[in-house]
Amino acid sequence: MKLYSLSVLYKGEAKVVLLKAAYDVSSFSFFQRSSVQEFMTFTSQLIVERSSKGTRASVKEQDYLCHVYVRNDSLAGVVIADNEYPSRVAFTLLEKVLDEFSKQVDRIDWPVGSPATIHYPALDGHLSRYQNPREADPMTKVQAELDETKIILHNTMESLLERGEKLDDLVSKSEVLGTQSKAFYKTVSFFSKARKQNSCCAIM
Amino acid sequence: MAEQRRIDRCHMYPAASKPRLYHCMEREILLDELSSTKHWASMHVSDHSGFHYRQFLLKSLISQTVIDSSVMEQNPLRSEPALVLPKDEEAAVSTEEPRINLHHLLEEEVEFSTDLIDSYPGHETLWCHRRHIFYLQHHLNGRFPHSMTQLSPADSPGGTLSDLHLIPAGSQLSQAMEVDGLNDSSKQGYSQETKRLKRTPAPDSLGLEMEHRFIDQILSTCRNVEQARFASAYRKWLVTLSQ
Repeated sequence: MKLYSLSVLYKGEAKVVLLKAAYDVSSFSFFQRSSVQEFMTFTSQLIVERSSKGTRASVKEQDYLCHVYVRNDSLAGVVIADNEYPSRVAFTLLEKVLDEFSKQVDRIDWPVGSPATIHYPALDGHLSRYQNPREADPMTKVQAELDETKIILHNTMESLLERGEKLDDLVSKSEVLGTQSKAFYKTVSFFSKARKQNSCCAIM
Repeated sequence: MAEQRRIDRCHMYPAASKPRLYHCMEREILLDELSSTKHWASMHVSDHSGFHYRQFLLKSLISQTVIDSSVMEQNPLRSEPALVLPKDEEAAVSTEEPRINLHHLLEEEVEFSTDLIDSYPGHETLWCHRRHIFYLQHHLNGRFPHSMTQLSPADSPGGTLSDLHLIPAGSQLSQAMEVDGLNDSSKQGYSQETKRLKRTPAPDSLGLEMEHRFIDQILSTCRNVEQARFASAYRKWLVTLSQ
């Protein structure tokens, strides 16, 4: 069970701004790591863009689950995990991170921030600690505030898109993805290929 | 370090009881593997191979017990504790035949399964594993009731090497492990398995009761659709077991 990325974003009126991100791409093959990271940023931004304020959702894409929480104040968090990682813990993590972030970083900085300008060093530590969900969060079985039935489930990324929109088009237009990553996306079914090249066992 | 000490202890047996020496070492390795793979399995809860390996280890430990008990039946003299001068108190205790409590091991595995099912809802692998463990307990209760797993020479278990075939393997076991309780007993393999199950004593009713309570608790609190489905299928399977 694995966490791959943890990001804090701001859902602005016009566009979604990435404020801070932490990644663990160690399980990917060396030459793919930077592309994978870019795709995770791209995905996180897209998901926040297509999620309403005040909602939680889990978006499934092949072996990955992207959990998103967009607060009413437009602060949002996305964690990209595998399909073993318990979603309950993922949402607990998002709640904690956004809470801490909002206390440490002034609201005024959110709409115009970027990973370079925002000062929030704790994110890498959170990602690393939460790799083992039971150590990080001794399963409080009853999460009083979190009503799991309200979490929207999307079975594919495509279901987030408007009618007629294609993921391919969004990828080509994206400013977040470098040329190499875009080319890579065209040649392979991105997520499944990148992952399997570095794993010795298929997870059932 | 600890592993080497344990294996050294095995070498304190006199050369004459070679079979027991080998079994002792193998048992230590099996037990060691069981404890060292626990963490990996708990971090890969949808990977069947980790749990399948644990099932293999437990089955091997059970088979070992059957072999040992028959060896002891045939060689009552050899069942005396090994005569080795101990260097210290700890060695004195450990020169006795290392006794593993199979029931305890299986109970621990059930607890492990419970913990994982509660923490990580909706993984079929975990429920499959639970069936295997319950099945092994059921067999153990039939062959070796609680009082006999300490392998004291006085109680001969009545089991023999030929009972090894009752630890199911391969396709027969997988049929018994069917996810959704089969109602179609016209499937030949399945009805052979039920005949076999019916020959063995009824599953320990206390164990069954506890399993049903566990299922009730899961069904009443879980919000994961898959988890509910697996719990219901497990219940159906338990019912077929006791018919």
